Amino acid sequence: MERLRYFLQRTLLSMRQTPLLSGATIGTVAIALMLLSFFTLIVFNVQNLTRQWSRDIQVIVYLDRIPSNSVLEQWCQEITKLPAVETVHYVSQAEAFERFRKRLGQNDDLLDGLMPEILPASLEIALREEARTQRGAEELVELLSRNSTFSDFRYGQEWLERYDAFMFLLRLTGTLAGGFLIFATLFIISNTIKLTIYARRDELEILSLIGATPFFIKAPFLAEGAFQGAIGALLALGGCHVLYYFFLKKGLAALLTTAAAQNISFLPTWMQVAVLGLGLTLGLAGSMLPLRKFVRM
Amino acid sequence: MIQLCNIGKVYDNGAPALHDINLKIPSGDFVYITGSSGAGKSTLLRLLYCADRPSRGQILMGERNITRLRPRSVALLRREIGFVFQDFKLLNKRTVFENVALPLQVQGLAKQEIQSRVYQLLQYVGLEYKLQRKPLELSGGEQQRVAIARAMIVRPRVLLADEPTGNLDSDLAIEIMEMFTRINHEGTTVLLATHDRELLDRFPRRTIVLKGGHIVSDTLPQTAEETPSKEEAI
Ligand SMILES: Nc1ncnc2c1ncn2[C@@H]1O[C@H](COP(=O)(O)OP(=O)(O)OP(=O)(O)O)[C@@H](O)[C@H]1O
Ligand SMILES: [Mg+2]
Repeated sequence: MERLRYFLQRTLLSMRQTPLLSGATIGTVAIALMLLSFFTLIVFNVQNLTRQWSRDIQVIVYLDRIPSNSVLEQWCQEITKLPAVETVHYVSQAEAFERFRKRLGQNDDLLDGLMPEILPASLEIALREEARTQRGAEELVELLSRNSTFSDFRYGQEWLERYDAFMFLLRLTGTLAGGFLIFATLFIISNTIKLTIYARRDELEILSLIGATPFFIKAPFLAEGAFQGAIGALLALGGCHVLYYFFLKKGLAALLTTAAAQNISFLPTWMQVAVLGLGLTLGLAGSMLPLRKFVRM
Repeated sequence: MIQLCNIGKVYDNGAPALHDINLKIPSGDFVYITGSSGAGKSTLLRLLYCADRPSRGQILMGERNITRLRPRSVALLRREIGFVFQDFKLLNKRTVFENVALPLQVQGLAKQEIQSRVYQLLQYVGLEYKLQRKPLELSGGEQQRVAIARAMIVRPRVLLADEPTGNLDSDLAIEIMEMFTRINHEGTTVLLATHDRELLDRFPRRTIVLKGGHIVSDTLPQTAEETPSKEEAI
């Protein structure tokens, strides 16, 4: 207890003694994490929206012959059991015809006199989220084609290919930019904290000389780093909130051509907590690195 | 019992400081280490405090070999040893009180105990009216007494003092020597590095003379038992 109080006292005192350096550390964390959260926010929203589009990804099996009800039921059951499948919907010839008529709108008189039998019946298979990729669709098609009656498949091959490439690029950029930012921050923080430590190296030496364990010497610095990192993260989240409300919400909505801005959302709570944790970790690691050099004895 | 076997020390820059030192210091002894400037007195004390590592040889303190200790063990060892540094090594941003209290704080003692012990000791070295001063607001002699108080606050088993009377006038030096004598009588082993001849003559003790990093003599005083300080102490 005495020690905990001592550490807290030391931490606060030291931050008051070197306000410029503390400010620099907090500022660095804040700016870096703000960039990072801002970018994450964009990626997050784009991903959310594209996920909505991806609901349309489905595999359609056109049926040459109309199966009997019992066969149809058996197929549906079998297909539903496949891990990649979310739902199976049977579209009868009549339903397909009706849909087509609706799509034609005013021109539906074109269909007058035609029988519904001109359109094939089909099975519309919706995929689970994790299978909504080109590979997922292809694998499902391969599974389905084991049943020799299924031969005619449609699953928007080209569209899927582009969608996959887009998501891959988005994730890659996000990971690279994020990783780079984190390393840059770590570098800057550890250098700033090195200055703090350098300014107090006599104290470190003397503490060590009078029998302070390495942990006892390091703890206040680590606490200081973690604390500053956490404050920086809070500032970053606050700044991100401000940017989000004033600029991003409308900008993103316009960019992604979504009608409603309510589809755009701020980072979910767990991500905000993660940003806070990241700030804390950055501060901690940033002070741990230079301390290793100074506190050897 | 402190024992040094074949100790050699060469500093990183290549400067040799100690050669083949063999030494036995029984517990409870009071020993001077003397010799001209640069002879290696400070180096010898620093090795005992693990502030530096010997380049060769072994140092035993009690049952323990302290030549290659891990950082945590070094810290624990230092809690049993008091060290008065030649350059004091006080924290100039903290008060006299805080400086003296530091070794106890490091050990996690309760606040009240720290306060009473520090106050008592500061009274003992005559600085109780200056506890809230910072070291740089004190005279050299006063700073030295703060350094001595900080070394004694842990009630060490071994006290290593590097020129502890260097900045004191002879009256104060005598007072400090009496203090050392007193804690020596309480069982603490004292090693004192000094080149103050007057002190050596006035308080004769076992004296080890270093020269160029070698031990050139190791003598006991002629009047082994009778030391003038004894009556004055207590
Ligand atoms: N940190 C160091 N790095 C390199 N050489 C050193 C270092 N400290 C001391 N020396 C050298 O080691 C030798 C012994 O130094 P030491 O400080 O032990 O002498 P001393 O007997 O304490 O002298 P003084 O009476 O002036 O305090 C000297 O030649 C000195 O130049
Ligand atoms: Mg010296």
